[in-house]
Amino acid sequence: MRFVNHSKFYIHGLNQEKMLNLLSKITKISEIDRKSKVQTSFLCPYFEYKKVEKVLLEHGMKIEKIEHFGLAYNLKRCLTSYGLVGALLCFAVFYAIESQFVLQYDIRGLSTLQKTEIVGFINQNFSSYKPSIDTHKMENELIENFNSISFVSCMIRGQTLVINVKEKLMPEQMYGNFSPIYANKDGRITAVNLISGTLRVKVGDFVRKGDVLVEPYTVDTSGNIKKVEAKAEIVADVYNQGSASHFEHFVEVVRTGRYVVQNQVLLFGLKIYSYNEKIPYKMYEVEKEEVRLNKNILLPFKMQKIKVFELVENVIDSKFDDVKEEYIEKAREKALENVSNCDKIKEEFYNLKQQAGVTVVDYCITTEENIGVVDDC
Amino acid sequence: MFNFFNEIKENIKNPKGLEFTGFNIINLSGHLLYVEGHLGLINLSKEMISFKVKGGVVLVQGSEMLLSELSENTIKICGIIKKVEQI
Repeated sequence: MRFVNHSKFYIHGLNQEKMLNLLSKITKISEIDRKSKVQTSFLCPYFEYKKVEKVLLEHGMKIEKIEHFGLAYNLKRCLTSYGLVGALLCFAVFYAIESQFVLQYDIRGLSTLQKTEIVGFINQNFSSYKPSIDTHKMENELIENFNSISFVSCMIRGQTLVINVKEKLMPEQMYGNFSPIYANKDGRITAVNLISGTLRVKVGDFVRKGDVLVEPYTVDTSGNIKKVEAKAEIVADVYNQGSASHFEHFVEVVRTGRYVVQNQVLLFGLKIYSYNEKIPYKMYEVEKEEVRLNKNILLPFKMQKIKVFELVENVIDSKFDDVKEEYIEKAREKALENVSNCDKIKEEFYNLKQQAGVTVVDYCITTEENIGVVDDC
Repeated sequence: MFNFFNEIKENIKNPKGLEFTGFNIINLSGHLLYVEGHLGLINLSKEMISFKVKGGVVLVQGSEMLLSELSENTIKICGIIKKVEQI
C-alpha cells in the first residue's frame, strides 16, 4: 500500500497541452505520460482530485478512469464500506450484551458434592445477568441449602462465576468403602494383619476364590454393630498348577516335499481363467497366494496361485524317560503362567501319573501372596 | 534565504549589462531538466517537449522523455535529453 495520497487520471481528448497548462495553475501535476496524441495519464494530489475532475469535465475532456492511492483513500474506503461498518457495529452490540452475562462456572474444592448439583441450584435461583447477581446472597443460600458446605465464597471474574467451596468433615461412618474383603485366589492362609473390620478366617484355613475374609463392621462390647472400612493384609500360600501329557505312540503328519500348482485369474472375485492340474495325492494341504496383475483400479485383475502339498502320516514311538525333562519343563511353564512377577515362590514339586501309554506331569508352584481384595461391586 | 540562481547572477561578470530575469533551466547529466519560469506547455511527446518562456520558445529534444512534474511556473523533465534549444 502506498501511503502518499494520489489520484491518477486517464484522459482522452484533443489539445491536451492546453488542458495540462490549465491544470498546472490549479494544482501540481506529475508523472505526465503522453500515451498518444489523444491519450494521457497524470497524477494529482488526492485531496485536489475533485477540482481537477471538474475542470476536465468543464473543458470537454473524457475521463477514462481515475485511480486513487494512499492511506487517506484506503481509510475512507474502509469507513464507507457499509458491510464492514455494519459487522463491526453488530459485533460491538453483541459483545456489549453478551459480556453482561455469566457464561461458565468454575467450582473448586468439591469432594463429595457434585458440580451439577451446585450449578443446578444456581441456575434455578439466580439469573445469569451479572448486575443482578448478589454474591453475598448466593453464598448464604448455598450454605443454607447444602448441609455439607461449611464455607463458600463467590465472585464474578469476567464472564465466569468462581465458587470456592469448603466441605464439612464428616464422621468416619459417613464416608468410606464398606465392602468386605474377598479372596481372589484359592490358597491356605499363612499370615493375617487386621487393621479394621471383623476377621472371618484364621491362619491355616483353606479358602477358595470369592470367600469373605474380612467383614466391614465391628461389634462393640454391648453387641452393637458399627460400620467400618474393611482393611487387612491376608497372606496365603497359593498353589499354581500346570500339566503336560506324553504319549508313547502318536501320529505325526508331515509334508513330503511334492506339490502341484493351480492358477486362477480373478476379476472382482469371479474366476476368469483357471488352470487346474489334477491332485494326485491322498492326503494334502492347500496354500493360497493372491497377486495383483496390474495397477488398474477399474479392472483389478488378480492371479490366485494355489499350491497343493502332499502329506504323509508317520507313527512316532517315544519313550517318556528320553523326554522326561522336556515335559517337566513344559508343565512348569504352564504353572508359571499363573504366577505374577512380584509373587514370592516358596516351593516347587511335581507328580507323575502313568496309565495306558500316557504319562501326565503335574507341576505345582507354591507362592506366597496377598489374596485379600475389596470388591466394589 | 540562499538562492542558487541569485548566487550565480551576482558572481558573474556582466560587462554588457544583459538582463537575467525570465527563466532558468538546469540540465542534470542529460537525464533531468529543471525549468523555472515557463509560461505554458506547447507540445508534449516522448521525443520532443516545447514550452513558452519570456522572449520565445524552448525546444527540448530527446527520447523516452516524461514530464515528471508540471506546476504553474516549474517543469521537470526526465529521460534522455539530447538537445535544449531556445528559438
